[in-house]
Amino acid sequence: MNYTPITSLAIFFGICILLFFVFRPKKGIYFFLKSMYHQKDKTIIEDILKYLYHNQTSNNSISTIDLTNTLNFPNTIIIESLKKMMDNELIILEHDSYKLTSNGNEYALQIIRAHRLWEKYLSEKTGFHKTEWHERAERKEHELSPTDINNLSSLLGNPKFDPHGDPIPTKKGKIVSKRGVHLSSVKENTVAKIIHIEDEPDIIYKQILAENIHLYSIVRVVENNSTRVVFHSEGEQFVLAPIVAGNITVSVLEKSDLEEDNIARLSSLKMGETAKIIGLSKESRGESRRRLLDLGFVRGATVGIDLLNPLGDPKAYLIKGTAIALRKDQAAKILINKISHGK
Amino acid sequence: MENKTKSACETCAHFNADGLKKLGVKTDDFDFVVALAGNPNTGKSTVFNALTGLRQHTGNWPGKTVTRAEGGFEYNEQKYKLVDLPGTYSLLSTSEDEEVARDFILFGKPSVTIIVVDASRLERNLNLVLQILEITNNAVLCLNLIDEAERNHIEIDTRILAKDLGIPVVPTSARFQRGIPELIQTVSDLANGKITCKPRRIKNIPKNIEKSVKELSDTIEKQYPNISNSRWIAFRLLEGDTQIIEALKTGKIATNEY
Amino acid sequence: MNTKNIDEIIALSEELRWEIGDDFHDNLAESIYADASKIVEDTVIKDNKKSNFRLDAKIDKIVTSRIWGFPIMLFILGAVLWLTIIGANYPSSMLATILLDNIHPFLKSTGTNLGFPWWLNGFLFDGVYLAVAWVIAVMLPPMAIFFPLFTLLEDFGYLPRVAFNMDNLFKKSGAHGKQALTMSMGFGCNAAGVVATRIIDSPRERLIAIITNNFSLCNGRWPTQILLATIFIGAVVPESYSSLASLLAVIGIAILGIAFMFFFSWALSKTVLKGEVSTFNLELPPYRPPVFWKTIYTSLIDRTMIVLWRAIVFAAPAGAVIWLISNITIGDLSLASWAINYLDGFGFLLGLNGVILLAYVVAIPANEIVIPTILMLTVMVTGIAGGVGNGVMFELDSVTATADILKAGGWTLLTAINVMLFSLLHNPCSTTIYTIYKETNSVKWTVVASILPVIAGFIVTFLVAQIWRIFI
Repeated sequence: MNYTPITSLAIFFGICILLFFVFRPKKGIYFFLKSMYHQKDKTIIEDILKYLYHNQTSNNSISTIDLTNTLNFPNTIIIESLKKMMDNELIILEHDSYKLTSNGNEYALQIIRAHRLWEKYLSEKTGFHKTEWHERAERKEHELSPTDINNLSSLLGNPKFDPHGDPIPTKKGKIVSKRGVHLSSVKENTVAKIIHIEDEPDIIYKQILAENIHLYSIVRVVENNSTRVVFHSEGEQFVLAPIVAGNITVSVLEKSDLEEDNIARLSSLKMGETAKIIGLSKESRGESRRRLLDLGFVRGATVGIDLLNPLGDPKAYLIKGTAIALRKDQAAKILINKISHGK
Repeated sequence: MENKTKSACETCAHFNADGLKKLGVKTDDFDFVVALAGNPNTGKSTVFNALTGLRQHTGNWPGKTVTRAEGGFEYNEQKYKLVDLPGTYSLLSTSEDEEVARDFILFGKPSVTIIVVDASRLERNLNLVLQILEITNNAVLCLNLIDEAERNHIEIDTRILAKDLGIPVVPTSARFQRGIPELIQTVSDLANGKITCKPRRIKNIPKNIEKSVKELSDTIEKQYPNISNSRWIAFRLLEGDTQIIEALKTGKIATNEY
Repeated sequence: MNTKNIDEIIALSEELRWEIGDDFHDNLAESIYADASKIVEDTVIKDNKKSNFRLDAKIDKIVTSRIWGFPIMLFILGAVLWLTIIGANYPSSMLATILLDNIHPFLKSTGTNLGFPWWLNGFLFDGVYLAVAWVIAVMLPPMAIFFPLFTLLEDFGYLPRVAFNMDNLFKKSGAHGKQALTMSMGFGCNAAGVVATRIIDSPRERLIAIITNNFSLCNGRWPTQILLATIFIGAVVPESYSSLASLLAVIGIAILGIAFMFFFSWALSKTVLKGEVSTFNLELPPYRPPVFWKTIYTSLIDRTMIVLWRAIVFAAPAGAVIWLISNITIGDLSLASWAINYLDGFGFLLGLNGVILLAYVVAIPANEIVIPTILMLTVMVTGIAGGVGNGVMFELDSVTATADILKAGGWTLLTAINVMLFSLLHNPCSTTIYTIYKETNSVKWTVVASILPVIAGFIVTFLVAQIWRIFI
């Protein structure tokens, strides 16, 4: 074949398209093959157990059809696995619906423990964004051995809750039950604390994250009807669709439980104002959190703005006699009480 | 309080200028190891250069020294090896610099640790000072950039500061060689046991945590009766520091009895 | 000490941790700071009335202001680069006269007088010595100007303000504002730029800064860009605009490098590096008047000399290799000619030629010797008059004479443009690669940092060549 610029360009783009199809994020052939390789019996069994466990706690009965419809595996393999699980006494079939045996229940809790510990690990020790934690943990939970899980737990200091606020089952399979109500169901003028943000389905989770709603923050609901839920938290106002608010769990607080009123985020501080730091939001995690504490962003410290940026972000804050620049998302995780207003 | 706080003039009279030799990088055999710790941007490297006669580059920019630099000086016929540790805000996090600094103070067994602080931003710097005082007994506070503090009308009562911290305090301005002789004299006195420190331990810890720390450090002391920083080890264990657990297991901490 | 007791301690600590919960670090940090403020209360007296006036604050207001912030920054960067490039000309040509025109012939004749065989004479003086001398002549003066200037700015305390101003732009591509500085440092020397990334204390952002530093056009590459722009780009426009056009072309290449830096920073932070821990903090220290002479001295010792020394260490064997491949023959062709013939096809595809590719392979140690190597190889392959002999690098004082040789080697405007692009987008020099390895301590990241820019270079020059051939 003789050289012409057009043919060589065509060959080049051909290779590019080929590479794109092979390595396309998540949908590429490479990832497809990789997931095929990992799709072992163990994964399917564990996914079924988890699914049954979650539905059991919410008292749904699950039939074979429910399983084949929800789980992303070939039907024949699911049915085969179900049989295997019954043989091993992990599940029993009662009136066309599957129930976990006590063995099955214990197994399911260990998977959940692995999942939540791994999410905790990702949030504390790596830089992965929170939108990725769940998906990575979904894969990792099947790969960790019991020893790995216990080592992981002690490395993280035996945490009780995962970064979404879900309780982590203990080694012995104990799980703290967590009471709370959906944000969409609380009355207007209620004060409550966010204790859980559901990470499934992905679309709603991403919407909640985009709003910058922080776990363990105190909220005051000001409007709640069929079209929207409006609430104030940390000095900001949030408006959510009821379906989105339904994925946030809160525990309602008595007025007397309130330690601090008038909480705001450091990001809302204006030039010339000073404030006292109340503490760091639980959303600030891992190395970033420790860094902020080391720099003096601790409870009781006085903070003001030292310098504004020509591009708006970051701002330099004067803390303990030093100007430290923080980006807006970091400043949003520092809670303050404004003590004086500038001119 | 057993240490006698020396005023600058008192040390001047003691200072033996003829006995000082800056050894640069020649640090083959030495009598004492001296660590140099401090926050970033406090002129730590300038102090290092002033003591050793070396000219390590120092920038007005936090975090210049990442690996540790070594140098030496000789005073009154005793040789001192000086190790410049990376500047850190704290020893509680897990960044690489902090590990280097912490490991050296914990395992490198320096005879004396010079803690360099910026006099005009003392409060911020004390965070690190108080942490170091949990680890080591023999330390001197080098109150550097004192000229800048004076320019900003900040006055520091060094006698009370020394009393509060339980270690000698020497005001310096390393860039202009102010206070360096006094610093050398104090280091020499500390190394030869002429001054003993009684460093302050961190107070104000919430009761339930203090109780746990006490319980744990008592257990550690029972195992290692000669250890002086059991409280710091307890802090680290309560934070789940895997390196300290490792050091316990390998016996690295057990041999650290000074 | 028996292990049972140790296990006991660890078990107890685990149990206690379970009791005190995960607020331990917060509580400890708070307690320490509470202690600190208590001590400060007792010992520090601050006269607030007098300290209200802060010169620092005034300077800060100006250098971070909406109107003046960016112009001041660009002006300072431009001034530093201009001083470096212009100021280095005279000492560079002086060094070249001494090292290349005087000492080199002297060494050769001494060698002959001592009865060295021709190959030893050639290997030592035409190969090793010449490469080292070249690197010193081209590299030393700009670095001896650039680094002290940069260091003065650093000591004064201005650079953290630049990082502060620029952070928003870098944040968008997943990087740290301090990368603005390591990038600027890269305009002087990539190896020094890589070392400077130590100021970035967040692991992910530091790796990004290290891997993308090579997209800053370094001192070793500016002369190549200027030479080619003058010969080829300057020639397409009317003569009165030629110097302006070539200047714009060189600036355009540097800006293109910055664009690539942003693009790859973004791509890296979204893919391979997204799992690395990322934190952000930036302290703005008070301004301090630099101690002028001491700063100059230490920056020369610390930065210039160290980088120069590393470059020399790598240049010496490169000189030897260049001389050897030009003088060892297989059949009736030298190794270099074989390689050139072999690389010609691929070179053509990229709008370059075999000579250029070979020059970039053997000149990995130092970008400074690329042009001399190209000239030597071109003369050797084409057999035209000029040059000093096989394996003896040379450069000509006259731009037209250089242009004649290159044109005889088949160079067109496309070749020149693609060499300019390839000079921007190719693997880092071996000094930088070595430095990256030392700083990251990882073979993986060293390989990524070395390969990434070459692939970018291949793709860009390939596309430019094809499109050029279709339309022009």
